Amino acid sequence: MPNVTEGCVADAKSGVRLATRSEGIAHRDDLKDLTSLAVQGDRTAIESLIAQLRPMVVRYCRARLGRVSGQYHIADDVAQEVCIAVLSALPRYRDMGRPFASFVFGIASHKVADALRSSVRSAVPTQDLPDGPDEGPGPEETVVRYIEAEHARRLLSRLPDNQRELLMLRVVSGLSAEETGNVLGMSPGAVRVAQHRALARLRAMAELESIA
Amino acid sequence: MTATDTVLEALSLRRPVSSSDAAVALLAALVDDVDQRCSSVSITPST
Repeated sequence: MPNVTEGCVADAKSGVRLATRSEGIAHRDDLKDLTSLAVQGDRTAIESLIAQLRPMVVRYCRARLGRVSGQYHIADDVAQEVCIAVLSALPRYRDMGRPFASFVFGIASHKVADALRSSVRSAVPTQDLPDGPDEGPGPEETVVRYIEAEHARRLLSRLPDNQRELLMLRVVSGLSAEETGNVLGMSPGAVRVAQHRALARLRAMAELESIA
Repeated sequence: MTATDTVLEALSLRRPVSSSDAAVALLAALVDDVDQRCSSVSITPST
């Protein structure tokens, strides 16, 4: 039987809420019950939990792994692996004094590290054939966005690990300062100080590159 | 520090950010890029 304490579920509540924060969805479900039910194997609760976690995990993996051949196949596959790993571990989930979001991003961080080490990144999947007209941005806008995003990724990779992880969670995954602090074991105030320093460092690197 | 938090909160919530800050522009580009819709094609391996 799963052993989930009240404290852990309460943390999970804030962690899960993050998933929908940036979506603008006014989900105010009783996430404490949702997480509790998911741990106990309730299929509907599990589906709802994963549906809320997945967007954050996808963004995190995409930001960390980037594109291969212009596509996010590898990052999206890793995000899928993270969700599967979370699902698999859910029945055995125990309160270790860390929030549920920390549990999820801990798995994501390991999976991303595995993918970076693995030669799988060199695999080049064939491009999907579109089912209909492409309603996305045009080629010029796509290229500009791609170049800027790669530039951001390259500079972020040069930040210290803790600063990079903080910006990934806070900005890319869409967590609040409080929620980022829960994941990283920092107070919201410490997150605000650290994010200010991280942004200043990123700015300095960007300015240095623009001069060179 | 408050201004930084305000800008990062806006980026985090995917709200439009108007800033001449190079670092903010880079983060905005990354956010825009990773938020792209996932491929509609999924492949299930045969068993």
